[in-house]
Amino acid sequence: MSTSGELDLAYGVLDHQLVDSEGRRCGKVDEIELEGKAGAELRVTALLVGPGAWRGRLSGPFAWFAGRLFARKVIRVPWDVVESVEAAVHLGKTASELGLGRDDDRWRKRIARVPGS
Amino acid sequence: MKRIFEVALGILAAIGGFVDIGDIVFNTAAGATFGYGLLWVVVLGVGGIITYSEMCGRVAAVSKQPVFDAVRERLGLGTGLVALVAAQIVNLMTLAAEVGGIALVLQLLSGLPYRALILLGVLALAVVIWVLPFGWIERVFGYVGLCLLVFAVAAIKLHPDWGEVAKGFVPHVSTESPLVYGYFAVGLLGAAMTPYEVYFYSSGAVEEGWTPKDLGINKANAIIGYGLGGFLSFALMITAGALFLPLGIEPELLGTVALGAEIPLGQIGLILALVGTLFAVGGAAIDTCFSGAYNLAQFLGWEWGKYRGGAGAPRFTITWLVLLALGFCIVMTGIDPIMLTEYSVIFSVVALPFTYIPILLTANDKSHMGRYANGRVANTLGIFYLLVILAVSLSAIPLMLLTNMGQG
Repeated sequence: MSTSGELDLAYGVLDHQLVDSEGRRCGKVDEIELEGKAGAELRVTALLVGPGAWRGRLSGPFAWFAGRLFARKVIRVPWDVVESVEAAVHLGKTASELGLGRDDDRWRKRIARVPGS
Repeated sequence: MKRIFEVALGILAAIGGFVDIGDIVFNTAAGATFGYGLLWVVVLGVGGIITYSEMCGRVAAVSKQPVFDAVRERLGLGTGLVALVAAQIVNLMTLAAEVGGIALVLQLLSGLPYRALILLGVLALAVVIWVLPFGWIERVFGYVGLCLLVFAVAAIKLHPDWGEVAKGFVPHVSTESPLVYGYFAVGLLGAAMTPYEVYFYSSGAVEEGWTPKDLGINKANAIIGYGLGGFLSFALMITAGALFLPLGIEPELLGTVALGAEIPLGQIGLILALVGTLFAVGGAAIDTCFSGAYNLAQFLGWEWGKYRGGAGAPRFTITWLVLLALGFCIVMTGIDPIMLTEYSVIFSVVALPFTYIPILLTANDKSHMGRYANGRVANTLGIFYLLVILAVSLSAIPLMLLTNMGQG
């Protein structure tokens, strides 16, 4: 957040790290959802997370590859869950409550079986 | 007192951790080809790695942002992705070169077949990474890597012409074969400023939970640790210049490099040189392996870090395992690790601006850094080195092609 208290969405929020209420890293702000129309007031309604959200921002060969490599999954994090915006965007709920970090959860169980993990 | 001791240990680890296979190959080859004439380039490169390590360590301590977090924030998704792909390719090449280097040294020590030793080396690395805590990994490899100081003793024993050595520290350009000289200069800069060093350094600062209170340690590690690390590079180059240049030997094998310590110091010199190389290269293999996993996780926002435990950061853990396996496969094809090293160093120079620009921007951002943002000295040095890097990255590949990789 800038010192004047204004929030720069493009540089201060988009592409920043998301950290949940327990300090867990749980994705990036891949896209920002706005509500409103031309000439009227715009309002941030949600942060969008996941390959389905960032795929649309790419062009050329990257877009083609991303379309084949990743699922279209998008997770919507309502803006009112955002507690603070610093170098990372801090959320007021846990990743599991918001449906974030599911892939890490899935792999966690398998890795936990290896001794010493 | 305890604090001073901790700082000293960190510095020692940084000295031992500075040298990797790229430094060994380029410093020895440069010494064997141009004597002491390129020593000033090492000083320039060490200044660059100090400047940018200090900056990215400070950013990590203050805003908790490691390099690829800053890359995505500053360069955006598209350009950031180009930077990520470039970094990952170079990093994997470096990892493979280091793994090959481990096997070559093990072969010199044991005489066992090369491919079996690649497997043994990779398995040993995997176990060490899995079992040892982060701080231990850095220290064990850093400390034993200090055996490379044997080259400093060797350099003195070889009685180089110190007047000539001193002249080597004065910036100049060779008129005899300027292109080959330029190629080695680019390689030495690339080897000193290898990008994985800053990825690893900044993520390591987050791993160790640095806060603004640790900024003193950050400065000491970067300036004294990497500064003295450069001293090992001088020793390698002076040894090669005093021994190989007069004999007309081109050190194309790691065994030849170790001869630089054996000839003046006997068997004990040889063993110290090989053990030092083994741990320096082994430590670098772990650093590059982690760096690849840090970069991907930080770019995509995954949980990461050795401090989280294997299951605490699952996709990060899988990524380093996969990278280690890929490195293994690359070396098993039989590709020459020394040649791979040369390519990885030259290509890393091309990818460097993508890494340095976001660090410089973030370290300057008062909204993230507050009163710890870059001062005038850090910015002057930062911009100076950015210009050096841009010039070097533009000339790296043309020089490589024109000189047939330094063969003239």
